[in-house]
Amino acid sequence: MIATILNRLIQMAFVMFGISVLVFLIFFATPGSDPAARIAGRNAAPETVAQIRHDFGFDRPLPVQYALLMKRLFITRDLTSFVNRGQQVIPQVIDAVPATLSLVTGAAILWVLGGIGVGLAAAAMRDTWVDRSLMILALIGISMPVFWLGEVMNLLSQSRFHDTWLFSWVPGLGYVPLTEDPAGWAKALVIPWLTLAVLYIGIYARILRANVIEAYSEDFIRTARAKGLSERRVLIRHAFRTSLLPFVTMFGLDFGALVGGAALLTEVVFGINGVGRLTFQALQNLDLPVILATVMYASFFVVAANAIVDLLYAAIDPRMRT
Amino acid sequence: MNRRTLFTLFGAGLALASTTSLVSAQSRADLMAAHRGGTLKLVARAAGGTIDPQVNYTLQYWQLYQSVYDGLVAFQKGNGIDGTVLVPDLAEAIPEATNDGKTYVFKLRQGIKFSDGSDLGVDDVVASFQRIFKVSSPTSGTFYNGIVGADACIADPATCTLEGGVIGDAAAGTVTINLVAPDPEFFFKIAVPHAAILPAEAPTTDVGVEPIPGTGAYMFTTYNPNDSLVMVRNPNFVEWSEQAQPDGYVDSIEYAFGLTDEGEVTAVQNGQADWMFDQPPTDRLAEIGTNYADQVHVNPLTAFWYAPMNVNVAPFNDVRVRQALNYAIDRNALVGIFGGQVLAQPVCQILPPGFPGHEDTCMYTKDPGTTWSAPDLEKAQALVDESGTKGMDITVITEDAVVSRDVGTYIASVLTDLGYNASVKAISSNIQFTYIQNTNNNVQISISQWYQDYPAASNFLNVLLSCASFHPGSDSSVNIAGFCDEGIDARMQAAMAQAVTDPEAANAEWAKIDQAMMEQAPMAPLFTPKHVDFLSKRVQNFNFSNQFQWVMAMSWVQ
Amino acid sequence: MTDALTSTTSAPVPEKRSGRGPWATALSRLRRSRSAVLSSLVLLIIIVMCALAPFYASLAGSDPFRSNLGGKIMLNGAEVAVMQPSTTGLGLGVSPIGPTWTTQYMLGADTQGRDVAARLLYGGRNSLFIAGAATVICLILSAVIGIVAGFSGGVVDMVLSRIMDVLWAFPVYLLAISLSIVLLNSSFSIGPFTVTSGSLILPIGIIGVIYVPYVARPVRSKVLTLRNSEFVLASVGLGMPVHRVLTRDILPNVVPTLIVFVPILLALAIVTESALSFLSIGVQPPDASWGTIIQDGQTLLYSRPMVALAPGVAIAVTVLALNVLGDCLRDALDPRFKLG
Repeated sequence: MIATILNRLIQMAFVMFGISVLVFLIFFATPGSDPAARIAGRNAAPETVAQIRHDFGFDRPLPVQYALLMKRLFITRDLTSFVNRGQQVIPQVIDAVPATLSLVTGAAILWVLGGIGVGLAAAAMRDTWVDRSLMILALIGISMPVFWLGEVMNLLSQSRFHDTWLFSWVPGLGYVPLTEDPAGWAKALVIPWLTLAVLYIGIYARILRANVIEAYSEDFIRTARAKGLSERRVLIRHAFRTSLLPFVTMFGLDFGALVGGAALLTEVVFGINGVGRLTFQALQNLDLPVILATVMYASFFVVAANAIVDLLYAAIDPRMRT
Repeated sequence: MNRRTLFTLFGAGLALASTTSLVSAQSRADLMAAHRGGTLKLVARAAGGTIDPQVNYTLQYWQLYQSVYDGLVAFQKGNGIDGTVLVPDLAEAIPEATNDGKTYVFKLRQGIKFSDGSDLGVDDVVASFQRIFKVSSPTSGTFYNGIVGADACIADPATCTLEGGVIGDAAAGTVTINLVAPDPEFFFKIAVPHAAILPAEAPTTDVGVEPIPGTGAYMFTTYNPNDSLVMVRNPNFVEWSEQAQPDGYVDSIEYAFGLTDEGEVTAVQNGQADWMFDQPPTDRLAEIGTNYADQVHVNPLTAFWYAPMNVNVAPFNDVRVRQALNYAIDRNALVGIFGGQVLAQPVCQILPPGFPGHEDTCMYTKDPGTTWSAPDLEKAQALVDESGTKGMDITVITEDAVVSRDVGTYIASVLTDLGYNASVKAISSNIQFTYIQNTNNNVQISISQWYQDYPAASNFLNVLLSCASFHPGSDSSVNIAGFCDEGIDARMQAAMAQAVTDPEAANAEWAKIDQAMMEQAPMAPLFTPKHVDFLSKRVQNFNFSNQFQWVMAMSWVQ
Repeated sequence: MTDALTSTTSAPVPEKRSGRGPWATALSRLRRSRSAVLSSLVLLIIIVMCALAPFYASLAGSDPFRSNLGGKIMLNGAEVAVMQPSTTGLGLGVSPIGPTWTTQYMLGADTQGRDVAARLLYGGRNSLFIAGAATVICLILSAVIGIVAGFSGGVVDMVLSRIMDVLWAFPVYLLAISLSIVLLNSSFSIGPFTVTSGSLILPIGIIGVIYVPYVARPVRSKVLTLRNSEFVLASVGLGMPVHRVLTRDILPNVVPTLIVFVPILLALAIVTESALSFLSIGVQPPDASWGTIIQDGQTLLYSRPMVALAPGVAIAVTVLALNVLGDCLRDALDPRFKLG
């Protein structure tokens, strides 16, 4: 067990190293990305720009700059932003985590329940109008860009119908910490949760339905039926269980990425200052230290989530023990 | 009190500032008693970067610094053109120049304290001027390089002393500043926040997110660029000049960062915020202009949108092509993109309306005269045909922000109509400005904007189009067109020298220089934008200074 | 409920087994399926409409790729400006004309005064091409990587899985921002293709690759299960060569997993393409795709919601039709279905 974990940690280090090098190289390969002139402002004298380049160490060789950045990120842990100079990057990311976790966890509960509910209902009533309409809804959910959906939700809940009974409870955009005001926290997040969950409900419901239907054609289901088990029991105990595999795999991928900051557009639209928005602003500003920190953080969660999923496989499907 | 001095110094542009909108002392005390208190809630899409007043170069924070930091002189806190008038701030008076215009002796006011309780002294002033160079302030090499000893400071900031340039006399309470040559814009340059006076012990590096104590009515308490900036009253503040640093009505100002533009508008509409920094998105303009008309203030800006054309790259290395585009652009259409005639005014010259040296003139229109009326497509087509450049590829580089992208798309469409193979590329707003400056990127034409630092013609003409601001191969080369005409350059130098003694004649010359440049057409001026301030219902007594926009200290919320 | 379930696994009519080959059988089955016919019809209409885009544009009388900010049209006998300044209150803002439901500006205009309906038809060509190509690339790559990783196990699996992790955690937008700027001045060559920033190969390639982990990992987990299933173990035990096991036993069982992803990928690709073109990669203005029209409409959401709505509906209908057709196709081709 310890060996497995250790092995995974080493692999994680490789993934993070690979990504950081890629990000670093891409940044410096981009014309106009050199932050010195951007920091110096409009109409700066060339001497001033040169001075700032020197202060930041941009005049040193790239490998040295990379090593220094990594040292300040992981060892001395005092890496600061290029754009908001003096702002330490690590506390920034840590401060942003609760908001992202709140958003993603709530949405994940919604989409897992929604995905399972819709997927099973559609599979159970395959080829009826119920199945068809559920799948049409699922596809519409997938076809809507999340940013657009978020803006429409804001249009309805904050502007057009803000004063009606339907949305008068909706607070202003932004995140309310759970510890400060639990009711306010939930109220502020309901619409973001729904917005983020819609896409995944669509995807998961379709995947689950397809797998359940496929499972029905397998021998062991026929055996179960032949044994006289009820349809419900066959569906839940057997077909659903074998269909969980891709479901869990994708959940690991999505949840890991979202906690890592992939919910950036949702966070931006709803003014939630989480890791996603931090990533978004860092990308907009081309703020390399923050980009690196958020990408490292994201890759940690992606790798960790996949490791957990791999462990879960054995529990779900005994055939996968190798 | 020094209006007269200023008048002779800065000329016709400021002559309009003859009346003041400040209410009398008595009624101000009454208003203060009635409305003092409360919190002003501001929202912006993003923070403005470092909080260091000597490094930050954004209007977003310059606006806040007005109530937090003071210079030796300051722009008056007042409405409209009053906001461009210089008044003594930490200095008792604006001094007369001596030594052929090269020496100024400032007498410091007594009894002013920083927000940390320490007293303001001449040492602080001397240290602050050195600090401009030690922190590599963006304008250290362009605004303050005229101070004696500045060259050494620029070459080696760490050991900067400004020896012989800024001399303090603690006993007399005076600071003497010596310039290498007379500078008509010197007072403007020391009135902007980069020359703010900070405690002598302030760190000599960019402080980033740790606020430095100031002498103003408010002080910064916490700053987190991802979340908020909070200002409260400076406990050690005693008002010494209502014009330079008025006491404020509200008790605190909270600036929240991170909403989208649409979210900001909605927050102000619903009373969750009092003001939005960003301009309302174009699809909300009609709505707020109709349903919230009394909460909207529209004011002219001394700025312009323009399309710099690279005079060193085909096809814009042919003056006929540059003129053709100037003739062909329907500036009214662009005004529409920006939000309509209430929000912008077509221009075809460089100096904005109402600016020193501006004289209404337009050569690139159907009937050349004083104002733009309609595009002249025949003339434009003829010029393009003559140049023989038809069919060339042209890429218009814009920012990825909505208006810039739309303006670029329209310009590309015009170029297509003229017979070119034009396309438009939007790149990240944060990179675009440095990208289009660097000659290595061979940008043909781009969309950009320029806002004044201070009201002087050279701040547009000399900065944007002089040989000195063209640095090939550098990301910092604000002469984007790469325009360098030695004849015009000499005339600009002469005009700046003349401004010391005869500003009116100098401004007349600047108007001619503006025209001479437009004949060469290194850029296509597009329109002068106006600024929209959208406030919540409870904010009263809105004053818009032409220099730093909304004067927050003069408004109340209760 | 029970009926619906059992019908899928019950034995088909025996006559199917005689005479015709599997493709012909499938085709005839498809023809008899009402949903298959209906969805094909919808797709056909969409394709024909997109093909006829120039015809509509000429009918509408305005060039959908040129700005028309000062334009005027005749509507109900009156002359109306395409871009209409606000006349109420302070008179702030200029709104493009809304849907007229006539041949001119049927769905209204965008911020450049261009006909949204005409752009929608032209945009469909780009969107369908990009999404289709990206989906195919993604499915092929995912199948190969998922099968190889799942079947080989060990080091190969580990390396491939970690590469997938890098890909999944990688900030694609940074790459896009960077590429768009690098390609402003230069281009590079992949084999016979020269890639510039306007080239459609870029969005196809990027989208085709970034979703590979999303599909490859479920495929891999499926293969992990299959590898230890009795029939595969039997094949291996019988000494069947690996490539035959892969193509005969593994691949057919992976295909259904892949097919489920087709409509999902198509929709995601169309949406992702718009984000890339916003960063100047792929479809470049004044050219259009459904995604870029949504982006244009985003800035008009509060005044002219139709601009963003129309391409959204177009995407949903297309994906829906493709999906129904895909389901029918799978049913028709399903080997188990045939063998009973």
